Amino acid sequence: MPSGRKGSVPRGSNLLQAAQELGVELESICGGRQTCGKCQVIIESGHFPKHGLTSHPDHLSPPSPLESEYDQEHNLNGRRLACAAEILADVLITVPEESQAHKQIIAKEATQRFIEIDPAIRQVYVEVEPPELGDPRGEWERIALALEKQWSLQELTIDSKLLPDLQSSLRAGDYKVTVTLWQDKEVVRIQPGYSEGSYGVAIDIGSTTVVAHLCDLRTGDVLATQATMNPQVRFGEDLMSRISYINSEPQGFVRMNRMIIKSINELIEKATAKADLTPQDITDVVAVGNTVMHHIFLGINPTQLGVAPFALAIDSPIDLKARDLGLSIHLSGRVHLLPIIAGHVGADNVGVMLAESPQEQDEVTLIVDVGTNAEIILGDKNKVYVASSPTGPAFEGAQITHGQRAAPGAIERIRIDPKTLEPRFKVIGYPQWIASGSNGLIPSEVKATGICGSGIIEAIAELFLAGIIDSKGHFLSTSADRSSRVHYDVGEAYYVLVDEQLSSTGSPIVITQEDVRAIQLAKAALYAGTKLLMDHRSITKIDRVILAGAFGTFISPYHAMVLGLIPDCDLDKVNAVGNAAGDGARLALLNKQLRLKAARIARTVEYVETPLATNFQDEFVAALNLPHASDPFPHLDGVLPLPTVEVQKKRKNRIRSKYRSRS
Amino acid sequence: MNDEIDISQLETAEILELIQDDLYDGLADEVVVSVKELLNRDMTPYDVLTQGLVAGMAVVGNDFRDGILFVPEVLMAAKAMKAGMEILRPLLVETGAPQVGSMVIGTVKGDIHDIGKNLVAMMMEGAGFNVINLGINTDADAFIDAIREHNVDILGMSALLTTTMPYMQVVIDALKDQGLREQIIVLVGGAPLNEAFAEEIGADAYCRDAAVAVETAKKLIAIKRGQLT
Repeated sequence: MPSGRKGSVPRGSNLLQAAQELGVELESICGGRQTCGKCQVIIESGHFPKHGLTSHPDHLSPPSPLESEYDQEHNLNGRRLACAAEILADVLITVPEESQAHKQIIAKEATQRFIEIDPAIRQVYVEVEPPELGDPRGEWERIALALEKQWSLQELTIDSKLLPDLQSSLRAGDYKVTVTLWQDKEVVRIQPGYSEGSYGVAIDIGSTTVVAHLCDLRTGDVLATQATMNPQVRFGEDLMSRISYINSEPQGFVRMNRMIIKSINELIEKATAKADLTPQDITDVVAVGNTVMHHIFLGINPTQLGVAPFALAIDSPIDLKARDLGLSIHLSGRVHLLPIIAGHVGADNVGVMLAESPQEQDEVTLIVDVGTNAEIILGDKNKVYVASSPTGPAFEGAQITHGQRAAPGAIERIRIDPKTLEPRFKVIGYPQWIASGSNGLIPSEVKATGICGSGIIEAIAELFLAGIIDSKGHFLSTSADRSSRVHYDVGEAYYVLVDEQLSSTGSPIVITQEDVRAIQLAKAALYAGTKLLMDHRSITKIDRVILAGAFGTFISPYHAMVLGLIPDCDLDKVNAVGNAAGDGARLALLNKQLRLKAARIARTVEYVETPLATNFQDEFVAALNLPHASDPFPHLDGVLPLPTVEVQKKRKNRIRSKYRSRS
Repeated sequence: MNDEIDISQLETAEILELIQDDLYDGLADEVVVSVKELLNRDMTPYDVLTQGLVAGMAVVGNDFRDGILFVPEVLMAAKAMKAGMEILRPLLVETGAPQVGSMVIGTVKGDIHDIGKNLVAMMMEGAGFNVINLGINTDADAFIDAIREHNVDILGMSALLTTTMPYMQVVIDALKDQGLREQIIVLVGGAPLNEAFAEEIGADAYCRDAAVAVETAKKLIAIKRGQLT
């Protein structure tokens, strides 16, 4: 399912129950009576190596009489009603958006930014000389002449797809027409008479989420923002699994390309409908995305991006016609893609730089976009460096015992009392803090389903601050004496964050020693990458930190620093900027000069291949500690626990301690 | 810290215990002092290796497996082990001591990640193996050349990307073509792998982490040498 959740359920459970058990809420009005048809799901068919299973519609019970009846009346189109289908063997389920009870939380609202409006698309009104006997010139040539005389526009071309309707448009407007121009070079739309309104869409194709901002190209206003899950998620959460799928399935690449184009078309349709427009009114699109999404969107097989040396098909900015990609906007509409920097540093990062402009700052700025692959941008007006660090999917909740994506029910905030070791937490969708005693005080339907990325970061930092784990990330056996929430045994240590009464699954939600290790590895990769860029820039401290991306919006800067995810910095200067990549796309949509600027940025930043650096391993190992083995964190003075007297560590050096105690 | 203990006053058994504890604490200089002292007492280099260093690293490996120790501590221990080994290695050769085993290890072609693989290499050395580390982006030819040149018992391959792990199959097929597959133990590891994948490509075992790699290597070598069945 697109939620990425998987698990085992007893044979014979229906899909609705199974989904609920796994923390995926399906829409249901009739409550499982097989009548409302709200819980429709799609059954995937085939072998899915990523999930290690073979899924087939036959792995479910055949449709019940009630379900067949519903199908006859409403046509299920091959879908099943989750409440009717009983699980007999492995199945992979996709939950269509309309069947999801809670839509994903996406911090991708368009941010307010100062933008000078100078779009690539503009409309001009011209009055054209009507044809006459004895004047053999074509209608287009007379339009071109009018544009030259009235608007000083020269050497224009016209998109060939406009020619069939050219003459009828001229006549309908009595030889007065509104011409839409792209870059003052090409005519992309001709409307009869005077017409006002040109519109464009800025798209951020993320590996998990795709977002579209519909903009008025004249005013710069965002008329609608529409987001959806990237449908490719079912083929793998991270980019490398998607490339693997392409490599193993002959039709894999074509399917992924079609899926993303279809999703974007649907987004544009929904966004334009919201603004009382149609996709035909859209004449310009600017898209950003990571390198793999960029290539798939363009119809380029991304296989080469899966193996070193990670060769890109193209890194320059690209202009092309929307119809060549299969985008259903105006037939002559244009698409622009921002440039790419390196194999794993894509147009989305260029978008971030366009939006945040580190290359124009006096202060040394660190921009971190945390995801499966963390992108790091560091520099100031002297020089900007970028790198990509393989953090793995731990920050997205994968590889964590009770990890999950950010969705209603996920724990996003955590505090642990350093004295009693009692936790309190907040789940997405409910505004109050929840503690173990608050059973009766909160609505019974508010239950925690798991821990999302921002929650995990806070959890590990709080465990450290409360002295439950030490700076090496090890659960202290003595903390088990301090509270029954801590369990310590050789090979098994964990902290009970949520008691079973407050958990949606009915069993406690815990944070284990392995979870701590997974987060340590992920954060060390990020920190080590940052340190290498600081070395390149020859600096030892940074002035400002920007947390970019949907995830960055929810990270607590304080906890990120305690954990050592980011280097020491004034906490007031650590800010989240939301979807800066999408903002960058919007800037480039509304101002054509910024497209040139983006190309300049991509040429002037320096890419650093971090894993190849000789000191990467040393930096990585030193960064495994909380917050770090040797780097100072003066801004956390008085906050961090004193280095624990590591007496109770693991194993005693008997002979040395004997001698030590003698002296 | 050295001056705290007059090592010459300790029983030999106590020094062996001290080596193990000092390895655990990553005290390289202290390990060297103890190794020298034991050699002075005419303990054979092989006994110092097995009863001191290897025994100590086994404890480190166990605690790593159990989540008690983490990468930095294991690296410190491995460095201390290496310091002790530098003294022992020439003496082991000189005395013709039996070899624990030998291994060629590398990250496969297309992949440039090597921290996990380096950790395995160090733990294997800690267990007394002779390890030839080929680094990153290693192709089948490089693996085969090294196997031939050093005549090793074990081939270890690592991959961190789902896109590069299929190359392990290429290497194993090449081993078969060259008639080398039967004589060598193939161990594979890396974040995206699992046991099913190892079986599918015809490797001898998948190793979840460095501690498991050492255990598996020891077990498979013993079987190969007919010490176990």
